[in-house]
Amino acid sequence: MINELKDPRKIFGEAVLEAAGSNQNIVVLSADSSSGSGLGDFLKKFPDRHFEFGIMEQGVVGFASGLATTGKIPVFAAIAPFVTARPFEMFRNDLGYMNQNVKVVGRCASLTYDQLGSTHHSIDDVAIIRTIPGVTIINPGDPVTIRKAVHAMIKHVGPCYMKIGSPKMPVLYEEDVDFNLGKGIVIKDGSDVTLIGTGTVLSKAVAAAKLLEESGVSVRLIDIHTIKPLDRELILSAARETGRIVTVEEHFIAGGLGSAIAELCSQEHPVKMKMIGIGDFYASNGPYEELLGKYGLQPDQIKETVIKFLKNK
Amino acid sequence: MDSKEILKLEHTALNIRRNILRLIRAGKAGHVGGALSSVEIVTALYFNLLNIDPGNPKWPERDRFVLSAGHKCLVLYAALAERGFFDATILDTYGALDSPIPGHPNMHKLPGIETNTGALGHGLSIAGGMALGLKLDKSPAKVYVLMGDGELAEGSNWEAASAASMHKLDNMIVFVDRNKLQISGPTTEVMSYEPLDERWRSFGWGVRIIDGHDLELIIRNVKQAPIEKGKPSVLIADTLKSKGLSFAEGKVSYHYWKAKPEELEQAERDLDKIEKQLKAKMEGTGL
Repeated sequence: MINELKDPRKIFGEAVLEAAGSNQNIVVLSADSSSGSGLGDFLKKFPDRHFEFGIMEQGVVGFASGLATTGKIPVFAAIAPFVTARPFEMFRNDLGYMNQNVKVVGRCASLTYDQLGSTHHSIDDVAIIRTIPGVTIINPGDPVTIRKAVHAMIKHVGPCYMKIGSPKMPVLYEEDVDFNLGKGIVIKDGSDVTLIGTGTVLSKAVAAAKLLEESGVSVRLIDIHTIKPLDRELILSAARETGRIVTVEEHFIAGGLGSAIAELCSQEHPVKMKMIGIGDFYASNGPYEELLGKYGLQPDQIKETVIKFLKNK
Repeated sequence: MDSKEILKLEHTALNIRRNILRLIRAGKAGHVGGALSSVEIVTALYFNLLNIDPGNPKWPERDRFVLSAGHKCLVLYAALAERGFFDATILDTYGALDSPIPGHPNMHKLPGIETNTGALGHGLSIAGGMALGLKLDKSPAKVYVLMGDGELAEGSNWEAASAASMHKLDNMIVFVDRNKLQISGPTTEVMSYEPLDERWRSFGWGVRIIDGHDLELIIRNVKQAPIEKGKPSVLIADTLKSKGLSFAEGKVSYHYWKAKPEELEQAERDLDKIEKQLKAKMEGTGL
């Protein structure tokens, strides 16, 4: 049901369990992290396909690579910075460079580990993993697309990084929404500006778009759930047809979705852009919604930023 | 093992050393010290122990060889060419643009290469994953790993060592090529790993220390693996860095060799001398 709040980790775990029921090759690797990743039921249902490693994320990524060489599809989920920044070289060499069919999932990603502070925030994961050739990066923005993303990720052959948050998040899509890796979703059409959201703050972009419409601004709203490979055609047509792009992400402005879109548009069809995200500093700690507010990621703030951007001819 | 078989393997080891020299001649430089110290280990693997098929390099039941110390790639290229995985003329492309044999191995460029290694401390965990996957499939295949002793300072190895014993990966056999030298000097002075056997044992591994240039001993010990029931095995192989080159043996400066013409000539003479000695041993054996 639209706007119903659901637990992203629970949805993720259920989807892995569904996929594992029909695909014997799926194995789950845990760095003392399965229960917190919604995979507790996987351990109960498939104990022979669940491997515990304790807190050794570098080792787990290597083991996942080796398992994939034997035809297994390893799924490794843990707190986002510990599966990206910490084992980055293993991700790059053992998964990317070796092109292994491993699914890495960073949970409690972005700022969702709110009061735990910068060691546990993951607002650089897209930036660093995006530099690894051949890795698909998926950042679904609601429970419906998280479930679909898991199935799409398992079906896709190749290394993937998916990020999900921690607190319950609103359902934004009907169950029958068409979800394809590498294809963005146009949530609503519009002509004055294109607002592009991703992941945990997609719902904020959706709410901001509604506020903007109420203020008379015609907004084209796009969900880029696959940050790599980017849906070039959809973004370039938005650039051509609306002339302005605003990106919304719970990530550093450096290297994130906005950067990826700027890399594309600046070369193919330059348009004015505004990137809403975290600047060049360590994010603070505190209640999640208040943190988003501190960094301009609440709907009314996004709305004001867009209006100011549109006034600036 | 009968002594004729060993003599034949010694001759193969000599050919592999000649191939390493051929690579250096092509590329003018390379990580020769650790390649030459592990020639006997790699010879024993590719010409006696590994259950592999050069005509079908991706055969799922094959034994795996993971070169964790990827900079020793010259010995791997030399052995794969000798074993018929690819034409030996490829060795002459070492150092050239787009050569299929880079300074660290790339599995996408050549048949027979199992992993992309080079960054140290990766191979053991990848091999552990292979061993776990093979066990899940109830495959009899084994996973062999060659590590350098300097490489052991990387903490990631000890993550993998814990996990391999915790998951009872007794289908893993690891060689540590203990040539005792790394770029900055003697390994135990740079970052000591001693007591190395006790360290591995405390991580739950079966351990033996062997002469890493003794082909018969290498083969016999591998055939006795797992050394301890239900545990992964490690053979700490004592070796001599740059083994076979008179001017380079035991010298840290030949970890990476920028070959001077006169050194290449001396190296040829050194290998000719080994060949002469081998032929004398072979005389009357019918080989």
